[in-house]
Amino acid sequence: MAVPPIPTSTWDTLENVFYRKEEVYTMSWDISDLSDYLIAAAKNGGAIAMMRDERKVMLLGKHSSGRPKIYVYTSSGVLITTLTWDLSPPILLHFTSEGLLVLSDEGTYRLYDLSDPRSFNQYTFGSEVNEQGLVSAKGYEDGLVVLTGSLQFMEVRGWKGGRASPMASSGLSEPPHSWALVPPDQSASGHIEILVSTGSTVITLDALERIDQRVSRGPFSHILLSPNGHFLALITATGLLWVVSADFGRNYSEVDISGFGGDHEGEGGGVPENAQWCGDNAVVLGWAGRVVVVSPHGETLEYTYFPSAFLVGELDGLRIISTTNCEFLQKVPDPTLAVFKPGSSHPAAILYDALDHFDKKSPKADESIRSIRADLPSAVDTCIEAAGRETEVYYQRRLLKAAQFGRAFMDLFNPTDFVSMGQTLKVLNAVRYFEIGIPITYEQYMASSPSFLISQLVSRNHHLLALRVSQHLGLRPDPVLKHWASAKIARARGQDATEDEVICGAIVDKFEKEGEKGVSYAEIAKKSFELGRIKLATMLLDHEPRAAQQVPLLLQMKEVKIALTKAIDSGDTDLVYHVLLHLRSSMSPGDFFHLLDDSISPNLSPAVRLLQVYARQGDRQLLRDFYYQDDRRTESACLEMEEAGSESDPDKRVEHLRQAAKYFGESKDRIFESKMTDDAHRLLSLELSLEREMDHKFQFTGLSVNDLISRLLVEGLSKRAERVRADWKVSDKRWWWIKIKALAQNKDWDGLEVFAKSKKSPIGYEPFVTHLLSLTPPQPTHAVSFVPRCDPKNRTDLYVRCGEWGKAAESAKERGDRAKLEQLRRSAPNGIAQREVDEVVKRMTK
Amino acid sequence: MAASQAIAGPSRPIPARLNPPPAPSTSGDSESTAAQPVEKGLEVGVLKELAREALIESLNDIQGAKTLILDPALAGPLGLITEITLLKHQAVDKLFWLEPGPLSVSTRNVVWLCRPKLSHMRTIAEQIRSQQSSPAAAGPLVYTILLVPRATELCRKVLEDEGVAGDINISEFRMEFVPLEEDLLSMEMEDVARDIFLNGDDTPIFYSSLALMTFQRAFGLFPRILGKGDGARKLSDLLQRHYTAGDAQYAELETSDQVDSLIILDRSVDWVTPMCTQLTYEGMLDEYVGIRNGHIEVDPALLETDKSPAPTPGSTLPPAQPTKKRKHHLSGQKDKLLADIRDLNFAIVGSRLSKLARRLEGDYGGVKNLKSVSEMKQFVGKISGLQSEQQNLRLHTGLTEQLMAITKTDEFDRSLEAQQNIVAGYDTTAQLVTIDDLLSRQIPWASVLRIAVLLSLTNGGIKPKPLEAFKRDFLQVYGYHHLPLLVSLESLNLLVKSPTSAPHPFPALRKSLRLVVDDIDDAAPNDISYVYSGYAPLSVRLVQCVTQKNTILSTAASVGDINEERDGRGRKTLPRAHPILGWRGFEDVLASIPGPTVDVRQKVSAGRHDINGIDSTTTVVFFLGGCTYTEIAALRWMSKQTKGRRFLIATTGIINGTTLLESFGDKPPVALHT
Repeated sequence: MAVPPIPTSTWDTLENVFYRKEEVYTMSWDISDLSDYLIAAAKNGGAIAMMRDERKVMLLGKHSSGRPKIYVYTSSGVLITTLTWDLSPPILLHFTSEGLLVLSDEGTYRLYDLSDPRSFNQYTFGSEVNEQGLVSAKGYEDGLVVLTGSLQFMEVRGWKGGRASPMASSGLSEPPHSWALVPPDQSASGHIEILVSTGSTVITLDALERIDQRVSRGPFSHILLSPNGHFLALITATGLLWVVSADFGRNYSEVDISGFGGDHEGEGGGVPENAQWCGDNAVVLGWAGRVVVVSPHGETLEYTYFPSAFLVGELDGLRIISTTNCEFLQKVPDPTLAVFKPGSSHPAAILYDALDHFDKKSPKADESIRSIRADLPSAVDTCIEAAGRETEVYYQRRLLKAAQFGRAFMDLFNPTDFVSMGQTLKVLNAVRYFEIGIPITYEQYMASSPSFLISQLVSRNHHLLALRVSQHLGLRPDPVLKHWASAKIARARGQDATEDEVICGAIVDKFEKEGEKGVSYAEIAKKSFELGRIKLATMLLDHEPRAAQQVPLLLQMKEVKIALTKAIDSGDTDLVYHVLLHLRSSMSPGDFFHLLDDSISPNLSPAVRLLQVYARQGDRQLLRDFYYQDDRRTESACLEMEEAGSESDPDKRVEHLRQAAKYFGESKDRIFESKMTDDAHRLLSLELSLEREMDHKFQFTGLSVNDLISRLLVEGLSKRAERVRADWKVSDKRWWWIKIKALAQNKDWDGLEVFAKSKKSPIGYEPFVTHLLSLTPPQPTHAVSFVPRCDPKNRTDLYVRCGEWGKAAESAKERGDRAKLEQLRRSAPNGIAQREVDEVVKRMTK
Repeated sequence: MAASQAIAGPSRPIPARLNPPPAPSTSGDSESTAAQPVEKGLEVGVLKELAREALIESLNDIQGAKTLILDPALAGPLGLITEITLLKHQAVDKLFWLEPGPLSVSTRNVVWLCRPKLSHMRTIAEQIRSQQSSPAAAGPLVYTILLVPRATELCRKVLEDEGVAGDINISEFRMEFVPLEEDLLSMEMEDVARDIFLNGDDTPIFYSSLALMTFQRAFGLFPRILGKGDGARKLSDLLQRHYTAGDAQYAELETSDQVDSLIILDRSVDWVTPMCTQLTYEGMLDEYVGIRNGHIEVDPALLETDKSPAPTPGSTLPPAQPTKKRKHHLSGQKDKLLADIRDLNFAIVGSRLSKLARRLEGDYGGVKNLKSVSEMKQFVGKISGLQSEQQNLRLHTGLTEQLMAITKTDEFDRSLEAQQNIVAGYDTTAQLVTIDDLLSRQIPWASVLRIAVLLSLTNGGIKPKPLEAFKRDFLQVYGYHHLPLLVSLESLNLLVKSPTSAPHPFPALRKSLRLVVDDIDDAAPNDISYVYSGYAPLSVRLVQCVTQKNTILSTAASVGDINEERDGRGRKTLPRAHPILGWRGFEDVLASIPGPTVDVRQKVSAGRHDINGIDSTTTVVFFLGGCTYTEIAALRWMSKQTKGRRFLIATTGIINGTTLLESFGDKPPVALHT
């Protein structure tokens, strides 16, 4: 094998910094001039979308008929797909992680799936924007920002057709000279920001406020944010390249570029047509085919492409796409520099050298290793790192071999980095192959993520490679399989049943062979349904283990009963509600109730109960209809009771109660309840009439029978209280309690005495004592008079509770209870009580 | 009472403060005293962190100053996750309660944080419309709703119907388990038993399954799931489905090596326990003072008076109710005295408090005997600890006095006697008389009703005649608006005519699970039945069927051991917990209780899960539909009886018989305008 040219052959220096420009691909397309096109390129070595620029076409007179087409190529110039554009001229082509966004100047945008050009989602910015039109737009990873005809910036987050929300008012009176977008992950606030060049200054906008940065060097034709978000490059109309910190706080560099653009005769020049950062280190300017790399102090590297070049800023460098080549320009990465820089004395360089000597069987190998013994670990690590930065497989191998060689001289070595670098390079080399055409660098791969790369591959229908990469990296294969299955269905031609079975069989086979659990059949079934393959959709849906996933599609397929059953089975009540609400809005009430008749389908009863829960809060009339239709009298009655309780108008409450009694009465098992509701109704009516009778001096309504009697007694209306008592057949026991409490509340001690003597108390006399003691403040002097009427064996304790220690002792003595007396003597507090007890004890012992 | 005297009038003056007072706090903040239990449980604090971060992230996603409108029902649970005042760091300018009425907003963002209730959605829609009809000066407002724990279709639908769906961003804040203590996780949901068992709305079961999945993501897959009851079965099925259906976030779950099983107890399996009056200190507090979200409302005098009040949550919130009482966080981590007494039978709390009072008195007295500067220094170092201890002592003494007054009443005595007789199955007719008697006295309605329900549950219903008489009188005494509640209790089989067709296993269980224990010593308990002075909660007995089989079959033979262990002398080692063997030995008992019995192994792990191989394992007991403080106390007590197994209690919320019955009825009627 011929040894490829040494790495340094592509190096150049710019202000003592090494840059390298490597040719990645020779383009396999046939395009004569890139400047005829509107071009967008995806980051991280992604695809290139191009569309003929209408204005230029006119100019050049190469008028092509028919609808404009958008061509999507790989970075190597292989055509991926062609899209037909039938809306008003686009102002933005932008690659999202999943596909291509095309935005028309009337505010309508489409998100294309590259693997299937016929399928796209279309969203719009609304009618207002439609009328005003859009001036310009920019996208970032998770959304886009547009400038409307009324010079208002609007932001859309995500790619799901989210609502456009206006940013703070721009205050512009004419379109800005230029503007730039600061993505949320690079802005200080964590939210999206816009930098706008207007007049001589720059203003910063976010959703809330507008800040004038008070610079006076504008207007600026370009505002460029460096990949790490720390620097801004601004280009003035007078040809000054000015680099400042992102907050405008620090000046880094000023270069006069007015002369750079001219060719040898001094023609052209002026403001560059194109400008990009090359990593975070240099700014690259483009004038048609002329590309100039500018260092902070104004040194330059110049390249020429004919007739034009397109620049794609990357995280770690710059992709230059011309009609013939795809090249990558970057500052030489540090590990590479350490190994290959001419005259490098870095241990890694010595290690790399030592490998050469070793291969030549030269003793110098040993000498070299000895000289870097202490630094071997770092030398090995650097070689591994440098391997990642090489695109030539030869040097990748060589560097890894050097690392391996160095490792042999180490006592301890953690092979993780070595192994994962090997693994990564295998993936990178595979996708860089020109047919795949993704020239992603190691840095870009680490910054994006393997799953990003995989989604790139599947969107280009490289399913097998994507699957192998997933497996190689130990990632879940589901996304790949899902995409593959959808694509397979989309491409199927035949429409007959056997074809369906073949496809379904192939998909199930593949899923079971390659996928772990977790591949969603429902999503594929949905795709199938959308493509009109309903039979296949049903077949696929049967394989879906998660009921919840099946429901939306079943609804779409109008399989309502199955959908409802599946929703119930899922145990997710919200899903049941989802189905119920869908049915409620799409069916007639009669059909709806019929479907839910759980005497016919008992397995639907959970849904019926949920419907009641919902209707109770959200749709009373529905609930009433349902209960009525279903002969649920008890529920109807309870509903009336509940409504009676929330009704503050007495007459309406009476009406609800009457209605409740009627419903209860219609059920033969609810005679008791019917009677009670009737009583409730009667009571409220009585209370109302009592109030009227007393000219509304008192409020009786809402009281229970007990409380009404009590209130009447307290208010001195005992005749009426008696009548209520008789009407409601209140037991003697309860009557006595109510009356004791009422009399005590009125402090009617005489009345209490009279009442106690009126007849033999059905509750005994202890309640008189205990109740009087429980009042605040307690009434022991009144209470004590009832103690003699209590059960003798409790008297002692009752006296004690009244504080009458002497009497307590007496009563104990009367019963001859010495033990009790002794206990009294011990527990009596000091003073009079003690003496009283002692006296009784003394008399007893006499 | 001795304890209160020790505080109100110590014989020696308390030395003036030598240290600046500890930072103001409404919760006793002694971090000293009382040694930690030797065996450490799971680090459940991580769940709290997760919830806190999720909340902060949700708020930070909204750019600019925010007005936060908070569902009052969430204030308590949120307060357990983060201090609500700290939300200011997330640019929360103002806090309001979510209630009907127009907004006054001066920020660009309005954020509602609420449960996904339809009535809330209507209130919000109303507020947005009124705001839009008179636009704010600040320009158009940005509206966001954060629904807890999930954004539901129903809410979206209501907002759509109200015509505001397009103006509002709907998002969710996944608040699941809130760690109330190191061994107690609660979802702090309300009325779960009503939703599941009365209304047949299984939403809480689904939420529980999500919470338990999150738990498993943190601590590994439960090797075994046991349970009893319809709801338990549904929940266990859901857990397995989440795991096996291949949801990516659960796909990588490994079998836990810290948890040996999950035991799910469905509240419908045991209604008896919550109907009984709880007799532990904390249980009594809940019954008679009320504990909500770990907070209790107390007379400010019981908390330290000379500190500026810092009411929770957040002083910018207007008080939800105009009460002078102050909220106090009952936390065993901050208040060691509480940790000490919360699970004791109330009968011995008084003496425990006076013991502490005497010790404190002695400690303060120590100042007289200080001989050297170093002794003095030591004493000063102790003082702040003493002060917070004293503060805690004052609080608990005050609360104990309040409870003591209740326990001394005739009504309390008679209710308790009736309950104990009913549970033991003595003389049903006599208990009916007691019920009638309590009704005549018009004691709080729930207290009477709990006894009646208890009678119906243990007795297989009540004869039609006395039942009807009871209901009639009950409605007359407390009002006819309770009628739907009585209907609900009937449909739940909680208050039914005898003979009933529904199974009533209680009489048989009384024997087979030894639910009634006569000779229980409240001070030195040898059985969980101490929490009800003689009744062992059925629910917890079921846990013992799985984890401590021998204790059910015989009166604990290890009484002596336990006492010795408590004395700390001749410290005998505790018996080792036996491994989880499922319901073995109790299959017939389980079969006699209605509802399916659950016993599934989730993933066969390579090595058999052997309790002897591991120092200590945790058994998670999940109460679907809520649990009482007594059940918590009983499980904590069980944790201390064996070596090698801790119980971690998880629940949808904390309930008692009264809150349970209240949830089954309608809201009290509104006042009439006459």
